[in-house]
Amino acid sequence: MFGQGLLKGLAITWKELFTRKVTVQYPEEKVPLPERYHGRFELDVDKCIACGLCANACPNKVIQITKEKVGKKQYLTKYVMRIEYCLFCGLCVESCNKDALKFSHVINMNQFFRDKVRLVLVDRPAPEALPEEEPAEAAAERPAGARAKTAKAEVAAGKAPGEEG
Amino acid sequence: MKTQTYVLNMGPQHPSTHGVFRIILELDGEVVVKATSVPGYLHRGIEKLAEARTYTQVIPYTDRMDYLASMLMNWGYVAAVEKLMGVEVPERAEYIRVIVGELSRIASHLVAVGTYSVDIGGFTGFLYCFRDRERVLDLLEMVSGSRMTFSYFRIGGVADDLPPEFFPPLQKFLKDLPSLCDEYDGLITGNEIFQARTKYVGIITPEMGINYSLSGPVLRGSGIPYDLRKVRPYGVYDRFDFEVPVGKNGDCFDRFVCRIKEIRQSARIIQQAVEGLPEGPIMAKIPKVIKPPAGEAYAEIESSKGILGCYVVSDGSPKPYRVHFRRPSFINLGYLDELLVGWKIADVIAILGSLDIVLGEVDC
Ligand code: SF4
Ligand code: SF4
Repeated sequence: MFGQGLLKGLAITWKELFTRKVTVQYPEEKVPLPERYHGRFELDVDKCIACGLCANACPNKVIQITKEKVGKKQYLTKYVMRIEYCLFCGLCVESCNKDALKFSHVINMNQFFRDKVRLVLVDRPAPEALPEEEPAEAAAERPAGARAKTAKAEVAAGKAPGEEG
Repeated sequence: MKTQTYVLNMGPQHPSTHGVFRIILELDGEVVVKATSVPGYLHRGIEKLAEARTYTQVIPYTDRMDYLASMLMNWGYVAAVEKLMGVEVPERAEYIRVIVGELSRIASHLVAVGTYSVDIGGFTGFLYCFRDRERVLDLLEMVSGSRMTFSYFRIGGVADDLPPEFFPPLQKFLKDLPSLCDEYDGLITGNEIFQARTKYVGIITPEMGINYSLSGPVLRGSGIPYDLRKVRPYGVYDRFDFEVPVGKNGDCFDRFVCRIKEIRQSARIIQQAVEGLPEGPIMAKIPKVIKPPAGEAYAEIESSKGILGCYVVSDGSPKPYRVHFRRPSFINLGYLDELLVGWKIADVIAILGSLDIVLGEVDC
């Protein structure tokens, strides 16, 4: 009979009317993100040895690292990601041997101005010298880490220093 | 009365071209007398970009070809490089590739089925397909961390193992999938209006299909059971039991129905792959800096749109000398100009939609 197919389709849509809805009211309700989600990057400054492997792995030259030699060690002074060119492929995270660079679950990276898009993960002056004797090293490292963390927090709040342009 | 033909531009900005694609239609009243397709609006030069990247760095760019089935695009490329290097991919990696690849195929076919329904004028079918595609994307997101551009394959294996939380939703999805396909069949395939619009429209004869080197559901819709997974199995496809659905008439309807049937078959393959998933490493022993010996290799896989070929030339340096992709959407589109002639303007949309092109792949 002509029209049977139409009726069958109608029956399916009627049935759907009584099933649980699959959408959520987005800004209020959020679907949990999976463990491996590729969100914004975060850098554990204490672990990073400024080796530059991540920058080399990147297909789009997103990562710019500036380091200075302090004493015998390389000291990371700047870690800037030109995130507007990032493909979120994860090759950089994969290449990091020190587990310093990671993806976070932050998905909101929108900015109103282009110069704010750039993600500055570390921006700090190099110290005169790294006090290398005794366990004081760890103590000296901490303020630097803390400072970077505030820098990170600033980025999160959307008022990152955008001098890179 | 003297009449004359007129020229109508369809696209480049037109929702039914599924991207930025232009067809210059010369019409006699409502009937197409000449069609000229103009691709190229989405050209990004991926093949050229690849020459300035290392072998691994090319992988994210392949995602951007057929972004609806990125896993399969990854696969085509890594298969060629592996062939060039003579790498043996570990079993577990091969099985994982089959699982994620077939999931990607399902996602791609769901888009094809859903958007075809919209093209013909049925918006409801579209929503049902996208509702279920979301579940596939969630699964793939768990595995790779991304929803569309996965970059999950690596030369010699895959980036990461399947997470344990991946399996329960996968099993549930596979269990639901046959009834979901029944829903699409009930909503779209069985609909008389849909059938009236698509049956005996845009017929591709088997000879023409072969002559124009068509592949994928577009060729199989014409009744030729040519599926690389069956006729020339790569990876571990020879271990799975599945059928290659074919059409009879080679019209838009058959091409459409083939895709739904393929979704069912993909589900069967995934089920078998999950059951047979062996333990072991997921990456072959690959040097940190990939430098294939000078030479060339060509590998083909069956993507959701057809045969994806990748040709890689190496000069022994860490960067490919030349990469070329045989993109099935592009080749399938080659027959469009001839196919459209003689059909009404409304059928143009039906025919173009049934070829299931994706412009990221056409223009590369
Ligand atoms: S995710 Fe990819 S594109 Fe982005 S910084 Fe890392 S390597 Fe570069
Ligand atoms: S983030 Fe990792 S790879 Fe990048 S410089 Fe630091 S230690 Fe090296």
